[in-house]
Amino acid sequence: MNTKTRVLVSASSHQDTLKDALAALIEKGDIDAVFALGETKQKGRYCYSLITDPSLVRKTLPFHPVMPVQGARALSDMTITRSFDRPVAALLRPCEIRAFVENVKQSQGSLENIFIISCTCPGVIPASELHREDRSDVLANRTENIRKACRVCTEFIPGQQADMTVLIASDEPNDSTVIYLNTERSVEIASKLESPSLKTAPPLPELTSGILESRSKSLKDMIREIPAPEDGLQSLVSLFSACIGCRGCREACPLCSCILCDYETARTQHSPELIRTESKRKGSVRVPSGTIQFQLGRLMHISPVCTACGQCSDVCPADIPVADIFIRAAYLVQQSLDYTPGRDTDDTPPMATYIEKELLDITD
Amino acid sequence: MKTILTDFLRKALTSGSVTSVMVPSRGPESSFPWTLVTDVSALSQAEPVPPVMSIQGAKALASFTQSETEGKLLAVMRPCEARAAVELSKLKQVSLQNIIFLTMDCPGAVPLMEYRRDNDMETDITTPDTLRPLCRQCTEFTSTGDLCLAMHGGLNSVLPLTPEGQILLDSLGIKPESDTSAWKEWTASLRSEREAISVESTKSLKDAYSGLEGLIEVFSGCISCRSCRTVCPICYCRLCFIDMKDRRSPASEYLERSRSSGSARLMPDTLLFHIGRMAHMSLSCVSCGMCEDACPSDIPVGRLVSMVSAGTTAVFDYRAGSDPEDPLPLNTFRMEELHEYED
Repeated sequence: MNTKTRVLVSASSHQDTLKDALAALIEKGDIDAVFALGETKQKGRYCYSLITDPSLVRKTLPFHPVMPVQGARALSDMTITRSFDRPVAALLRPCEIRAFVENVKQSQGSLENIFIISCTCPGVIPASELHREDRSDVLANRTENIRKACRVCTEFIPGQQADMTVLIASDEPNDSTVIYLNTERSVEIASKLESPSLKTAPPLPELTSGILESRSKSLKDMIREIPAPEDGLQSLVSLFSACIGCRGCREACPLCSCILCDYETARTQHSPELIRTESKRKGSVRVPSGTIQFQLGRLMHISPVCTACGQCSDVCPADIPVADIFIRAAYLVQQSLDYTPGRDTDDTPPMATYIEKELLDITD
Repeated sequence: MKTILTDFLRKALTSGSVTSVMVPSRGPESSFPWTLVTDVSALSQAEPVPPVMSIQGAKALASFTQSETEGKLLAVMRPCEARAAVELSKLKQVSLQNIIFLTMDCPGAVPLMEYRRDNDMETDITTPDTLRPLCRQCTEFTSTGDLCLAMHGGLNSVLPLTPEGQILLDSLGIKPESDTSAWKEWTASLRSEREAISVESTKSLKDAYSGLEGLIEVFSGCISCRSCRTVCPICYCRLCFIDMKDRRSPASEYLERSRSSGSARLMPDTLLFHIGRMAHMSLSCVSCGMCEDACPSDIPVGRLVSMVSAGTTAVFDYRAGSDPEDPLPLNTFRMEELHEYED
């Protein structure tokens, strides 16, 4: 069995290595564009861009620890009606790849002609921290400041869709940049690059077992803190009491792709008459109604496919730990459905699969 | 303020003059959800003027008043919320029939996120520097609706502003203070103070972000979460133009866009969305600041929309929310108008 994997090694930083390589690939015509992060005209604000000019590729910030928009959401937006007809390199975090794979399964995007470069992911900084004056300190001490969703993420090694994986998060610090070549086309692409040298290296899990161990522990701790079904509906009511109904969690979620959400339709919205009747019956009701209905509904729709990216918590203006709830629910739901979202485009989504005898342990 | 307003609500509900009351109440986890109350005992939780605006009152009201309410409903709201309700009635989202609005000398609200992260923030706010930026420059902080609780200039009295307000006061046997001159002086002086702040704020916004380049810069941190739109009381469409399916483009068009300038920003159409939203709602904007409160990217979107709104409403000599009988400018056909904007 082959225990060594082919890698590219470069003496410069991973950001410089990637920028040089990608700009060169555009110049040579091997790829047409790069999908990558960059800083906007405003300091501390970032965005994804689709870049065709090699000189602008050199201004990007590959794998900068931020996630302004979930990458899958942007890729889905571009490829939902027609896939790329020219090769494009996309720099994506593992949770973004997984979400995009789920998008593809739900006919919300296409992987065709997308060459994926990913990394062993150290996590990203919450958006609110980046708007602070002292953001450079925040960025410098990144491991302490990453999102809670990132701190409990155990899926930080990208799956088989990643053509290349940059070793960023690892147990031991690296002096050089190591890029794993996971696919035949990545080996072909790598052969076109001049400077970095081809070597072999141990498989990624061996270099990151320490991170996996500490993240697994954090995940277990977090799951214990979240309200459980036995805490009753009231615990959810309390948790979401401050919800202002901005639906930012839904809009930012890469998996919530409906054009019109079920909870914005006349079918699910409570009629004025019902609200007034309930007010008379109970003496007092919360208006607008449907806060918990929306959150539970989204939890039901998304938990089988949630990739635990944490965007929902990041955008919440009421500081509700939405992602914690989703991560816990997703963990349990995906376990009972024996489903790993984003693993393979050929895995059929559980909600689209009929199995006559299943889940007998949770039926009455 | 809390006690006077709550007592007033209690009295109105107990006497049967109104059959229900809409008021923010204290919820768990330092939250202040709106409640529709019919049982007077539930008013023990009432927080008529909470430190934050968690949901714009007009939006809460629109969720159950698209059809006419049976029996009188007394809605306690900030002035900007009552004005938004008037705009929503013109947009056929609220039926004003049978609703009595009780407003107050509004102390303003503190930014939602700051309050959520620091629950020790005084509930009885609010020194001017803790207020939300739009509250600091608000000139329409009082005298809206049918009744208004005046708390300054030596007053401590609910004043009637309309015949409906007067009828309710009469039925409760409340005689409003007749000498309001000192209070009026207070309003005039605060208004001129606020006007100066508003001029200053508009100037600094214009200096910082002028022209298309400026707009691109100020919205560069937008993550397209659309929270500004969802929390806006005036943006009521079920499906927004920007989300229409026929606006989608194939991947090749994104490549084309990118080739034209070397790079295409994602998500696309950020400015189209914000300018489109301004075009759709700026005439009815009540400068409540909800959009700015909800923005996770800290964009001064409320101040920008409010500034644009000052310009567009001036063109039509329209004041959002002031008179339910004033027709919406965009729904009014005039053969001769706006010649100065023609080529």
